[in-house]
Parts: sequence; structure tokens; C-alpha cells
Amino acid sequence: MSAHSDTIAALATPAGTAALAVLRISGPDTLRLCTELFGKTPLPRQVSRGNYRDRQGAVVDDVLFTFFAGPKSYTGEDTLEISCHGNPFIAQRILEDLHARGCRPANPGEFTQRAFLSGRMDLTQAEAVMDLIHARSNRALEAANRQLAGALAREMEAAIEELLGVLARVEAYIDFPDEDLPPEDVDILRRGVENLRRRAGRLLATSHYGAILREGMKTVLIGAPNVGKSSLLNQLVGRDRALVSPEAGTTRDFIEEQIVVGSHSVRLIDTAGLNPTPTELERRGMEKTLERLGEADLVLLVVDGSQPAAPLPDSAAARLVPDKTLVVANKADLPHRFVAGGLLAGLETVWVSALQAAGIEELTQAIERRAQSFQVTGDEELVAVSARHAHALERARKALEEAVAKIESRGAVELLASDLREALEAFGEISGRVDNERMLDALFATFCIGK
Amino acid sequence: MIYSETFDVIVCGAGHAGVEAALAAARMGASTLLLTGNIDTIAQMSCNPAIGGQAKGQMVREIDALGGEMAINTDVTGIQFRLLNESRGAAVQSPRAQCDKKAYQFRLKHTLELQPNLQIFQATVTGLVFEHGRVVGCRTNLDVEFRGRAVVVTTGTFLRGLMHIGQNKNEGGRLGDFSAKTLSASFLEAGIELQRLKTGTPPRILGRSIDFSKMQEQKGDAEPTFFAFHDTRQDGELFHVEQTGERRSGWAPGCEQVSCWMTHTTERTATLVRENLHKSAMYSGEIEGVGPRYCPSIEDKFVRFADKPRHLLFLEPEGRATNEFYVNGLSTSLPFDVQLEMVHSVPGLEKAVLLRPAYAVEYDFAPPTQLLPSLESKKVENLFFAGQINGTSGYEEAAAQGLVAGVNAVNKVRGAAPMIITRQEAYIGVLIDDLVTKGTREPYRMFTSRAEHRLLFNHGSAELRLIHHAKAHGLLSSDRIARIEEKQSTIRRWIEKLESTRIAGGSLADHVRRGAAESVLPEELKNAHSAIKQEVVYRVAYKGYLEREERHIQKLGEIEKIKIPPDLDFITVKGLRKESALKLSEIKPHSLGQASRISGVNPADISILMVHIEASRAGERKERL
Repeated sequence: MSAHSDTIAALATPAGTAALAVLRISGPDTLRLCTELFGKTPLPRQVSRGNYRDRQGAVVDDVLFTFFAGPKSYTGEDTLEISCHGNPFIAQRILEDLHARGCRPANPGEFTQRAFLSGRMDLTQAEAVMDLIHARSNRALEAANRQLAGALAREMEAAIEELLGVLARVEAYIDFPDEDLPPEDVDILRRGVENLRRRAGRLLATSHYGAILREGMKTVLIGAPNVGKSSLLNQLVGRDRALVSPEAGTTRDFIEEQIVVGSHSVRLIDTAGLNPTPTELERRGMEKTLERLGEADLVLLVVDGSQPAAPLPDSAAARLVPDKTLVVANKADLPHRFVAGGLLAGLETVWVSALQAAGIEELTQAIERRAQSFQVTGDEELVAVSARHAHALERARKALEEAVAKIESRGAVELLASDLREALEAFGEISGRVDNERMLDALFATFCIGK
Repeated sequence: MIYSETFDVIVCGAGHAGVEAALAAARMGASTLLLTGNIDTIAQMSCNPAIGGQAKGQMVREIDALGGEMAINTDVTGIQFRLLNESRGAAVQSPRAQCDKKAYQFRLKHTLELQPNLQIFQATVTGLVFEHGRVVGCRTNLDVEFRGRAVVVTTGTFLRGLMHIGQNKNEGGRLGDFSAKTLSASFLEAGIELQRLKTGTPPRILGRSIDFSKMQEQKGDAEPTFFAFHDTRQDGELFHVEQTGERRSGWAPGCEQVSCWMTHTTERTATLVRENLHKSAMYSGEIEGVGPRYCPSIEDKFVRFADKPRHLLFLEPEGRATNEFYVNGLSTSLPFDVQLEMVHSVPGLEKAVLLRPAYAVEYDFAPPTQLLPSLESKKVENLFFAGQINGTSGYEEAAAQGLVAGVNAVNKVRGAAPMIITRQEAYIGVLIDDLVTKGTREPYRMFTSRAEHRLLFNHGSAELRLIHHAKAHGLLSSDRIARIEEKQSTIRRWIEKLESTRIAGGSLADHVRRGAAESVLPEELKNAHSAIKQEVVYRVAYKGYLEREERHIQKLGEIEKIKIPPDLDFITVKGLRKESALKLSEIKPHSLGQASRISGVNPADISILMVHIEASRAGERKERL
């Protein structure tokens, strides 16, 4: 079987905060990359130390790297392994940089597949290789679905629809020159393609694969006013010295903080108090809180433990999902009068005193347990999927940029079509291949063809 | 009785697919029988009297590159030639020609008659004869049974053909012709699935009843673009078209090109359609078959594009020796009286006399996913299908398949490997790959947009792209092969020369890329044959893009080259998802590339298959040692 023509890169260790992260690169460009990155021809199988600089020349990390010359490597091809510090952002930045330098994100199980195809594995291992690809791709699919759920999927679909509309417009004039088509409108075309380019840029920003780690498990704090939500938040944030990216709230209505709990990244969102009898202003704040509740991966329902359970507003109670809710009874330093009854019966309850910093350890452990079942940062496949998405979106954006340039320079229309198709193919890598039939559907729906 | 001779190949049907199949088989030296229900309608143009157009024109040139007849037949009998998209790049330019319908038929009939190894016989095929899962011959309405080692079926619209004009129904594949009523049963008996499709044709009108002064004339190009590659044929092989100048020994010498005429529907036409919609066979539910989106009836146009006040109509002459005109754009299944009123509502057609009404026709087709890429049936060995029975539409699509089926029928009989043209090489490859991999829901027509690498498929390069197939299967004379190879090296030399010759402001090639070809090309190249000059200029001017396409192909080429053993049982491949395994078992792809294009098969499945195939191959190697 012929040698592979492209060079792949991926994280070889589980993503998340650990002492070390290992990145693996395999393929014909490896040696060139290694020399380019570390400024010298590496000696095979010798661990060297160097600064990893990104393409702009900025030092990302102090790393260890080992070059393995093919065929004496895991994949049978030239391979480079880079060990960097375990901070997930460092690994992500290096990976991003490698992709920018022309490496392709590896497919599920691809290193092992290459190893097998280049004869580095025994024939009897073939089935195991196939099982591995199967399992990994299933996990990747799950991870992709998880990422593509909701808003991103809708955005992707809308972008594809829009692109098909623009492409159909271009193709119609190529394939049906003898038809009674309305005059070509360059402005519509230009607006369409520019819009798409912006869309791809936006998607790239939101689906940026660091974002998953950066954002982490979305954890929303709710509760009646004055139960101590804010001091609890301060305790959680202050306690954790591994604070990663303290960002101001994305909206003025909320305070957001990022913490690392164990090996998981958690995004804490403090909300306005839930008042059962709100004023007009409070009502608006509460609506936004309810929105956040809907998006939460975990809800910390903070109550005043020194008081009997106060009723929650119905609108909020209806949105509580037992599996995703943790009751935090604050003011444990005062007499315990709170009993989790009614809707809250059976929910896990943790007693803390934000004032005295008591019970915080237990609370973070409870959050970590939830994060583990949520697995957002422990899943290397999720990171890989994000990497592939970002790679595809970048490709789409570049192609659309070229398309804009062609429209502006009045370039040949069949070349414009080829740029648009490149973008469509890139979109298709994320949400599944887009069949040409869909373009034809758009074409025949827009234009009356049928001389 | 059983006919005494057993043929290598029997072709059932002499439409555009059938004639190419029969000629290809006979030219490869196989004893061939062509059966047709009516020898006088060989290669009949049942719909518009034109060949070529976008993507189709390129395909006709590919047919010529593979030794087919359609291109040369069009050149000889064409009465108007136009190059479409002339202002755009070479890749999307297509030749198109109006043909003299009768002359087209007669010349092809004559060609068949003169073809060694080929016998033509008039009989309607009523059934196929199977033995041990393979086809061995066919029965006819004359109670004569013919035996053949391979059979190519090209039934067009004749399989249980049913025509509709309003509520009026007539059995037949074409107005005035018969319907093949019993052959379908033979296919079903063999386990071949059939479905229904629908197509339509507009009315024909008497020319002297048309007021052309109310219409806009559309003339042919001053310098016609031909379909056949004249530059690689011997002088003796040259057939002389009237437009080529002094040598006027072709059909109907000494005539000018003939014009087409443009007019349009009116508000009155629209009203007539709307008021009578319930009488249309299509809108009253009489028709179950699916019609094409790209060739809608006039009913469809007014319903689906209600805001468009008028639709263009083209009047196309059907020949020099006839006064009949084809009304392009007025396909309908409305009743005859409504058709008459509709025609009279069109400027210039107020007093038009109808010679033949418009009608819709429904027919059986065999979903083409039941075929191998060689066009052989997966169910019945040695049985090949080509043309509309595979769900396609168009003379060019039919001819392309006929040629491939004919070649592969011979290959099969001889135990040789089939000719598989890939979708990276030609429109013919795209056509067949789409058909056997994805199937079709409507009559399939080729568009340039279906080809991922259309930039490489400029019509002038067809011979250069396909010469290895022509060589491998003996489809062209050794003399023509030599000329094509010479052309190839001349083109390569010129490209190198343009790239390496430097003048002020860069190489000659750089100047060509800046659009200054005419001012910098060396005299010698300017005076070279236009086929060479055009190809050189195109390849130089589009160099970057063409290289990008080549890189793309090379990257995908890895999986295209990995063949899947025909006996591979997908269900037993470990790790393959169940739904993919079922899909793969149904389509039986011949390469990993084809497998990757099956809907529902994902990249992980392909990775797993790749490992499986390599493992079994390595296993076999080990056993041999």
C-alpha cells in the first residue's frame, strides 16, 4: 500500500490538566517541520530540549522533542513527539500552530492505521486495529454530535444553505448559458460570498477548539437574593490557585469565572437573585437567568441553610434537572434549619459556610464528580474533533477569501465556482458531505431551466 | 427456431446507446448482432434534433476519443454549429449542433451496414434466455431465438412505454412506435428491479405556417466547432462537411448553416395553462413516473415560477429536406385542443399548423445501482445495460454508456478486464460512477457541475485524457494513436518552450497568463493546428488551477487505486457499522474510492476497509510463501 502523502498531527495523551502532554506528528513533512521548529536536524531517537516558537516567533513553551526516522517508528513514517507542559492551552496552541504549518488533524485511530499499513504491526493485530478505529470514530462521532448540538449545528446548516444558494447562482450561468436567465448580478454575488466569509470567521471564533477547554463545564449559580451566592463564588475562585483565565462576564448581567477542579475546567456563572415577587427590573434579570439555566451543564442551587426551604419561582423550578443540580446549603455556621423537601427532595446537598470557608473542599469534590461524568475536558476525542472542525473552517474561510478576490477582479467564473466548492467541501467535513444534488435542488428552485 | 450462429455480443435496441454498443463490439472484432424493432428508426432523435451542449458536448468528444461514432455523425449531418460559453474559459465551453434528423439516422444506418463483423436484424425482443444465472440469448416476436455470449440491453423509453396527451393514452415508446410489453417480465424473473420514469417532448410544427418575422434569429457560428478530432485522423479518413470549404463530398453539399428562431410565451399562454391544468396528464395524477427537474413541462414552469410572466421558446429546424420545426421549451401533457390554442398564443405561431402533438411518456427503467461499473448486471452475468433503461436522459449520455457497455461486453466474453473510466478522467466516468454508486431519482442528465474536476475536462483534451483506454482496448487505429501521441508531445514541448523562453516582463507563459497570448505566441505556434494552439494556451493560462486539480486527484488517488476484491463479504468485516456493511453489500463498490462516495459510508468505514483489505492481501502473500 502506498505511502501517505500528508502529515498528520494530534494530541497523543488525554487532554486536560496533567503534568505532561505529548503531541505526535507523522508523515513525509515531519523532518522538515522538526528542522524548521527547532533549527537543527534532529538525531533520531534522542530526546532534545528546545523552545517551541509559533509562526510569529513567540515562545509557547519549553519542550522536549524526539524524532523517530521511518521506518523505525510507531507509524513506520518519520515521526516527531513533542512533550510540553500539561496545561491544556499550551498543547492546544502548539497543535494549532502545527496545523497552520500544514499538518492535518489526524482522523480517529489514524496513527495506528498507518502503523498497520506500513507493516509495523503483525497481521494478527489487524482486527484490533479495526476495532480501535471503530471505537474511536464512534467516540469522535459522539463528541462531534455533542459539539454540533444546538446553536452550532443550526449555524452550520444555515451557512451550507447560504453557500449552496450562492453556488447555484454561479453554476446556473455556467451550465445553462442558453437559458433565459436574469442578467448576472455581481453585487448579489459579492454580498453573498462576503457574508459567507464573515460567517465562517464567526464560526471559527466560536468553535475554536481551545474554546471547549477554555469554557469548560458551564456551571450556573442560582438562588434567592442574599443567600450568599457571591461570597460562595469568591470562595470557589479564590481557593483555586490554578485559576486559568479570569474573564469578566460576557454580559453585564452575569459574573463569569473560570476555575480548574481536578483535571477539569469549570466555568462559573453567577446570576441575579431569584425573587419570588420581583420588581419590573428584577423580572428582566430573572428572564436572563432562566435562559442561562437552560444552557447549564450543572446548576448550583444556593440556599440559606439557616432558614426553612423557601419556595423557588415556578419558572425556575420547572427548569431544574435533578441530574444536573447540586444543592448548596450555605451558612452552615448557623443552626441548620433547611430541609431538602418538595422539588428538592433526593437532590445531593452539600453544606458550606462561605463566610468561614468551611465545606468548600467537599463542594469542589462534588463538582469534580459531576465534571467527571460530564467529561468535557477528559475527552481527547472531543479536542480532536474541535481541531478538525477548526481546520475545516479555516480552509473554508481561505477559499471564500479567494472567491471574494475573484469576484472583485472579475476572474473566470468557473474558477470562482471551484473556490466555492472548496468551501462547501470544507463545511461538509464538519456536518457530513454535501451532495451535489443539493446544489442542483437550489439551482432548479431558483431558476426556471428547461429550454 | 434458434438462429444458427451464436454471436459474441447481441445488442437489443438501435437507439443512440445501441448503435455505439454494436459498433464498439464489432470494431473490436467481436461477432455482433444488432436487433431493432424497426430498421428505419435507427439512431432516431426522439426529442430535439440537436447534439451537444454543456457537458454533453464534452462527452461527445470523449466518445470520439474512444472510437465512437456520435461525433463524426454529428459533424457530417449537422446543419448549425455553435460553441456555448465562448466568452468563458475553455473548460466550460461546449460545442452544440442542430442536426438534420433524417440525415443523422441514414448515415448511421449506412455506417452500421458497412461495418464488418456486424449484422443488423429487424425484430422485437420479447424476452431474454437465461442459463445458470447468465444470459445466453434472446427471444423475438418472430419466434426466432438468437444466441449470444453477452447481451447489451438498450430499450430507451420502450419498456412498457405509455404516452399521455391529456386523458388520451397510447402504448408505445415514441409516437407512432410500439411498446416492449413482455421484456420487463424477463428482467423481473431474473430478480432485476424495475421502476418508472417520465419524460416529455414538445409539439412539431409546419415551417411554412410560422411567421418568422415576429421572431429573433439565432445563427450558427461563422467558424463551426466540430465534435470529432479531425487533426488526428488521416486525410483519407476525413469526412467532408459542407462548412469545411472546398471538399464538399459529405451529405447535402453546398449549403449554408440553418438558423434557429426565438420567441416566447404570452399572458394568454399562461392563462390557458392555468385554466386547463386539471386536464394535464401530469397534474391530474395520470402519471406515476418521475420527470426531470431540468426539463420541466410548460405546466411546471407556470406553476413553479408563477412570477415569471413569459418563457423563451426556440424553434429548431428538423432538417434541410423537411419543413418540420421542433418547439423547444413547450413540452406538455395537456390535451391536444389546449396545445393548439397554446401554440397559437405565441408570437409568430398564430396560424401554426401542428404536425405532431406534444406528449409525455412513461417507461420502465432498472435502477442502475444494480450494475457494476462495467455496466454489467450484478444479478445476471454477461448482461449489460446502457441508456435510458439505466435512468439517464439524452442522446449523449446514452451513446457514452452504449460505447462502454459494448466494449465491456467484448471484454467479458474474452475474459479481459473491463474498461473503467474514472470520474477523475472524463465526464463519461462521472456519469457511470454516479449511476452505479448513487442511482438516480429523475432522468439523469450530465451537468458540468457534477464533475469535481471539470477544469481538466475541456473538450479539446478528450483524446489526451483517454488515449490509454483507447490503447488498452484497441478502440482506435494504430495510426490515430500515433497521431494523438505526437500531438501530446507537441503540446508538451510547446508548454515547456513558453515556460522557459524569457522576454521582458517574464516568460512567454507569464505573458499568456496575463492574457496577452496573441501578442507573444511564436509565429510557428500561431500557425499550428488550432487543436494544438488552444490546448497549449489553456494549459499555460490555467496552469495553477490545473495543477491544484491534479494535486487533489493525486491525494484522492490513493483510495481510488485500492481495489476491493469482488467476493469481499462486507457483513463479516469486523468494526464496520451494520448500516454501512449493508449499503456496501448492495452497491458492491470496486474501489475504496467508489465506496467512499456511497451515501452513509463514512471515513472511518473506509479506514477499516483499508486495513481489512491490506490484512487479507498480506495474508495471501504469506500463504503463497
